[in-house]
Amino acid sequence: MRDDPSVVALVARAAGDDPGAWNELVDRYAPLVWAICTRYELSSHDSEDVGQTVWLLLVEQLGKLREPAALPGWLATTTKRECLRVVMASHRSDRLTSLDDALQFVDDAVIDEEILMAERNAGLRAALAELPPRCRQLMSMLLRDPPCSYSEISATLQIAMGSIGPQRARCLERLRRSDTLTALGADEFEINTPGGGPGA
Amino acid sequence: MLDGWDDEQLLAALGEAVRARQAVPDSFVDTGKSAYAWHNIDAELAQLTYDSQRDRRSATVTRSETASIRALTFTSAHLSLELEVTGSSLLGQIIPLRSGTLEIQTRAGATTTTPVDEIGCFAIDPIPDGPFRLRCRTADDTDVLTGWITL
Repeated sequence: MRDDPSVVALVARAAGDDPGAWNELVDRYAPLVWAICTRYELSSHDSEDVGQTVWLLLVEQLGKLREPAALPGWLATTTKRECLRVVMASHRSDRLTSLDDALQFVDDAVIDEEILMAERNAGLRAALAELPPRCRQLMSMLLRDPPCSYSEISATLQIAMGSIGPQRARCLERLRRSDTLTALGADEFEINTPGGGPGA
Repeated sequence: MLDGWDDEQLLAALGEAVRARQAVPDSFVDTGKSAYAWHNIDAELAQLTYDSQRDRRSATVTRSETASIRALTFTSAHLSLELEVTGSSLLGQIIPLRSGTLEIQTRAGATTTTPVDEIGCFAIDPIPDGPFRLRCRTADDTDVLTGWITL
């Protein structure tokens, strides 16, 4: 995933003059930056500050990133550093006696896992967005929390109750075969498979 | 790869992906998007290195003002901006002392300019309502931009 060509292309376009590419990068990776702020238990105000600094730093670095494909790692490291700055400056530093303590506050392995999860989630969201409208509508109703009932889906999408199951299966199969998902590396799907079942 | 996942696992993963995105406040994403306005602007970023409201521990630092006065410091490689809120205005000083101009920029894109005197002092009055940032250009061509400030 570190070699995801779409990330490299987005970075290159944003480094030129393409606000659309930049927005796509932010949409894609804001959840990663946010998740790391959450790990550091920052207030939403502090998280906003950190996020802002991280994106501003990225704007500055766009044309200079040595390895655009490693952007998620760069974002995670930068976010972590900014979070540490806030943590060290806040009252919490009363119970953190040294930088070492602060560094251990969130383990690097946790950050690495956040990167992998963010990549996987971004890939899944991108694949969802690429589905044909009918599939997208069905998926969005099924993915609601709590999911819509079949009778509700049947009424809204004007399909027979009996066809919902088969359509759901077809949409998921389509998703599974999408370029976006097949492009995702196999490795990260071996970790933390949702539902507790085996991965790849 | 994904073939190894049954429909329920795939749905669970999709649900997780959608929720991870929904957990992020819109304002957090919008702030990130608006950062692109600074693309191709040749200014050095100054980081917030002191905020009296946040860094209460450092309150032992001798300041002649009362504790209720908000003080902020932004630091870049070439200069620092020290800010203090006094009543309805914001007083500031550039360290090391030098003259120049200061731009006050709001999220809405409005920009006002105020001079910085020979001893690096400036005043912003009134303080902008919403978030703003300062861009300081000194006589020796240093160009520094702070992060967003909300007072």
